[in-house]
Amino acid sequence: MRILVCVKRVPLTGGRMVLTADEQAIETRHLGFTISPHEECGVEEAVRIVEQHGGETTVLTLGPPEAEEQLRDTLAMGADRGLLLAADGEEWDPQATAAAILAAIEDEQAAGGDFDLIVFGNESADSGNFQVGIRVAHALERPVATGLKGLTVEDGQVRCEREVTGGRDIYLLPLPAVVTVLEGINLPRYPSVPAKLRARQKAIEKRAPERPDSRLEKLRLVVPPGQGKQAEILGEGADAAPAVVGVMRDLGVA
Amino acid sequence: MTVVVLVEQLEGEVDELSLQALALARELAGGDPLTALLVGDGGSEASAQLGAHGVATALAAEDERLAAYAPGAWARSVTDAIERTGASAVVAAGTERGNEVLSHVAARLDLPFAANCTAIGEGPEPLTVTRVRWGGSLLEEARVHGSPALLSVAPHMVAAATVNGADAPAVEAFAPGLADDDLLVRVSEHVDAVTSGISLAEAKVVVSGGRGVGSADGFRMLEELAELLHAAVGCSRVVTSAGWRPHTDQVGQTGTKVSPDLYIACGISGATQHIAGCKGAKKILAINKDAEAPILASADYAVIGDLQEIVPAITAELRKGRT
Amino acid sequence: MAALAVSGFLFTRRAKLLVDLVRLGKPSDRSGRLPQRTRNEVEIVLGQRKLLQRLVPGLIHAAIFWGFLVLFPTILIAMIGAVDRDATLPWLGHQGWFALVVDVFAVLVLVGVLGAVYIRKVQRPARFAGSHLGEADLILALIAGIVTTLLLWHAARIALGLNEWPAGWSPVSNALSGLFGDNSATEVAERAFVWAHVVIILSFLAYLPHSKHLHIATAAVNVFFGRTTPPGRLEPLRFDGPEEEMRFGAGTVPDLTWKQTLDTFSCTECGRCQDVCPAWTTGKELSPKLLIMALRDQVFEEGPPLVRGAEGFEPAPLVPGAVSDNVVWDCVTCGACVRECPVSIEHVDHIVDLRRHLVMMDSRFPSEAEPMLRDVERASNPWGKAQSERADWAQELGVRVLEPGDPAPEVLYWVGCAASFDERARTAAQSTAKLLLAAGVDFAILGPRESCTGDPARRMGNEYLFQAHAEQNVGTLNEAGVTKIVASCPHCFNTLGNEYGDFGGDYEVVHHTELLAGLVREGRLRTDGDAGTVTYHDSCYLARHNDVLADPRELVEAVGQPIEMKRSGKRTFCCGAGGAHMWMEERAGKINDERAREAAETGAQTLAVACPFCTVMLDDGVRQRGDELRVVDVSTLLAESLDSAGERPSGPPGA
Repeated sequence: MRILVCVKRVPLTGGRMVLTADEQAIETRHLGFTISPHEECGVEEAVRIVEQHGGETTVLTLGPPEAEEQLRDTLAMGADRGLLLAADGEEWDPQATAAAILAAIEDEQAAGGDFDLIVFGNESADSGNFQVGIRVAHALERPVATGLKGLTVEDGQVRCEREVTGGRDIYLLPLPAVVTVLEGINLPRYPSVPAKLRARQKAIEKRAPERPDSRLEKLRLVVPPGQGKQAEILGEGADAAPAVVGVMRDLGVA
Repeated sequence: MTVVVLVEQLEGEVDELSLQALALARELAGGDPLTALLVGDGGSEASAQLGAHGVATALAAEDERLAAYAPGAWARSVTDAIERTGASAVVAAGTERGNEVLSHVAARLDLPFAANCTAIGEGPEPLTVTRVRWGGSLLEEARVHGSPALLSVAPHMVAAATVNGADAPAVEAFAPGLADDDLLVRVSEHVDAVTSGISLAEAKVVVSGGRGVGSADGFRMLEELAELLHAAVGCSRVVTSAGWRPHTDQVGQTGTKVSPDLYIACGISGATQHIAGCKGAKKILAINKDAEAPILASADYAVIGDLQEIVPAITAELRKGRT
Repeated sequence: MAALAVSGFLFTRRAKLLVDLVRLGKPSDRSGRLPQRTRNEVEIVLGQRKLLQRLVPGLIHAAIFWGFLVLFPTILIAMIGAVDRDATLPWLGHQGWFALVVDVFAVLVLVGVLGAVYIRKVQRPARFAGSHLGEADLILALIAGIVTTLLLWHAARIALGLNEWPAGWSPVSNALSGLFGDNSATEVAERAFVWAHVVIILSFLAYLPHSKHLHIATAAVNVFFGRTTPPGRLEPLRFDGPEEEMRFGAGTVPDLTWKQTLDTFSCTECGRCQDVCPAWTTGKELSPKLLIMALRDQVFEEGPPLVRGAEGFEPAPLVPGAVSDNVVWDCVTCGACVRECPVSIEHVDHIVDLRRHLVMMDSRFPSEAEPMLRDVERASNPWGKAQSERADWAQELGVRVLEPGDPAPEVLYWVGCAASFDERARTAAQSTAKLLLAAGVDFAILGPRESCTGDPARRMGNEYLFQAHAEQNVGTLNEAGVTKIVASCPHCFNTLGNEYGDFGGDYEVVHHTELLAGLVREGRLRTDGDAGTVTYHDSCYLARHNDVLADPRELVEAVGQPIEMKRSGKRTFCCGAGGAHMWMEERAGKINDERAREAAETGAQTLAVACPFCTVMLDDGVRQRGDELRVVDVSTLLAESLDSAGERPSGPPGA
């Protein structure tokens, strides 16, 4: 199985949002970073499939040079190689992102054969556009199932599970296919230190795609006004119980 | 301007989030009547309710091949509807299906798609929208360079609104030209959930626990309270990572987004990604030792103190009232 | 001669195996520091200092031990005398004063043995649970036999008139000689006793290395090679080796260091460690004694085939084979066991090495600790909160936040993650800041640039993650030109002061109680003794690991009337948060409850602490128990007293 997983480096935001002066980005000076949660689960899923069926996992990201850190983390989890598409410091809109990823995929497939499965996170934690995986699938003319909580590869097809009210819907997609997954599909492993050390030696290729003009053009970011609400303190400790129950009755839930 | 709205319904009942989407679509249309697109069985039945939400025409695609959900088929329905109506914008609810279908439409038509919008700005072309980032903790003002504009509406950020004295819309049968490819990805099977009990996404009350609960066992007092309130039990992400509760209980940006009448957050500090999952609640009650915890900035009510004392006290007080 | 040869052979063969087993161990640098090592040897072995930490059992053992040292020449005398009735050791064998010494010490040994028997058979202390009591009984019997046969032999010789000095010089033997007449029966008895004496000794010699009594050989060596570095410091690992050598921590017997193997051979199963272990005391699986015994048993089981080089022999994992996961994770690294151990076994190092393997090689650890490790790695603090919010506690206090390029302050206040992010621990930081400002100290905090010292990761066994943080923090501190640091968290204090030196960070590090006590002594802070009765809880990482005992007490005395708990000072009982337990669940009884109970029993109004973890754990404990006890950091008591002192007309400091 040849699997590609696409990930994104996102900040760990904490308790409140603080923007840069130009309102174009979150102030990340003292924030930690991570792989966007749905995607981290995507990497774990890919590594498990390869452990079961053999093959190789490649992880790709479009991001700043620091995103190499996230790629190394995926290599420590068991991915085999990494691919860093250098975003030029700007934010790429979903169509541009999909185009860059598509170009990289086409190069990779020309060199090493088709990817049986391409995995995306359902949406990235920060921009949450929901569409990159679908755009890439469409351009490759491959079937795509999204929002998956379960994935099983069997004989040339993949059985996809999606949670809906009352249970799960099942989709059967012939390979090669594209899927987008949700956190909760698995619990990503905690890599051993030898795996981390070995990851330092694994190959990460770098490319620098060209960014087309934005068609979903970010004008500015705004912290929603709702923040700064001040909660009505009903009391302290167990003594507040009657007040709480009073509120519950007023709301009609008790 | 002509705006087509993709309306979701189940067995003739229109989804609440679609009604919210209609409200934003009405704003976008500048008061012009809307065209609703309903795909699958029950569409024409459901469309009757839509008059009160500003819909004048309902396109009901009830081809038997559309009985099971297939994103490609729905996307085809939308693209055909655009052609038929000459729409300058398509709006859907920001549900899983809404976002999926419009993403497909966007890919097919090579158009930009603004997911989870909360407001409309200048327009109509290029259209300025406000959309949601970080699950709602941040907003983005963006310009959509393309026509028709494709938008989905962020759940529970826009209120549904009715107009008085509106007639039921005219229902037109609508047969999208479905190709085999459109039906390749479709629901082939439905597996019923094994667990019984109140679903987190639908519960009217959610009792949720975070790091402050301390252990898996610590959740028992929350479960007791939840039982009394016919509530579902939720948790924050750190609880799932610690292995105390399954991911299905997780409330947050990457977990389940809930919209109960009351969300009780016990020992949850209130990281933005958690707030993103519960801000849909009508009222939030925070129980926390820390008067400076971020959650208090998003809560309507708070009790400061140890949840291990407070939660049982609330349970006891509730029981008192019922004997 | 033949007997000597047989016994000697058996002893040597076993000893060789033991030496081989020790040499199987990985390296552990115990070189250098000879003066310190010699002093330890003299104090601990000869002086029996650690044994005397429990006075009565200590005296009993000292009696037997010193007795044996003194009586050693009598073994030679007996062997010579067994062969030739009239021969003895040159010079010493002829000395009357030596005969007196022998008598006195022989009796002392017997008294010791009787005392030991009383303790073991009548008192039956709990610390012996799990020990091989039968073995101990046999050894006591053999010892009793050795001195009894010695005395009786001397008695017989006196009766036969073979003594070379006035019989009065050996009063006990003399008294016993009354049992024997000067006749042929006594001549037989005299031979019998000396031979019995020699045979018992030789059997003991052969038995010795097969039993826990082998400690008499290994303990002296173990003590000599014991730690001379601060107790709170863990030995770093290296991660830059070649791939074939990527093995971290202790996963199997060959991973143990030679010192760890020697530790297991030195254990006498006395159980003093077990008695003071907070985990064991609260009903958990971990007993440091049973841990060392289990490792010892595993070494003996797998060691011989490994030494032989048996083909295809794969050593089994230590966890869960010899030691269960619970045992490894129950430990709070409080060091009480290490403090008690009379033979310098380093239990905490064993546990940390077991953890290192489990965490870094197997990713096998309690799942509730995983978020903490991920948060330390990605968010730079175990609370997973945004570093940008780290200085929020200091808003409106006028505390200087050190930016890159700013001149270094005289002292850097290292706040720590707990005080930055936990609402209860926060008050200590605010109080400390207020006090430092009031005293006019030139200080600053790093704010968002202060990241976790890595202590919780290191105590959990994730040495790799710890080192990444150590290197980062040392870089930040060195670049800022910091030379002196004050920390209000004993864990930070310990890591910064004792462990960062291994990574290029050499700073003068003091605990906030030390700094504040100094300011009070200098009169830069005035106090009044208004806080009522206060009992002070010593933090393990302050008192036991770092000898900080007096300064916090000075502060408590300055603000209230101190009442000491029974387990105080270096005998303190852990609050339960050490060893990364702040982030792990406790299975079975609660350590913090136990300590809260002890504090409440003093009847004090206030429980003073000097650590953010102790603050949270003991406050939880007190609330759970419903005690009327206020848990508060020493700095807050001081700050409150400062406020009230400030309102009074100025008077002498500390009035």
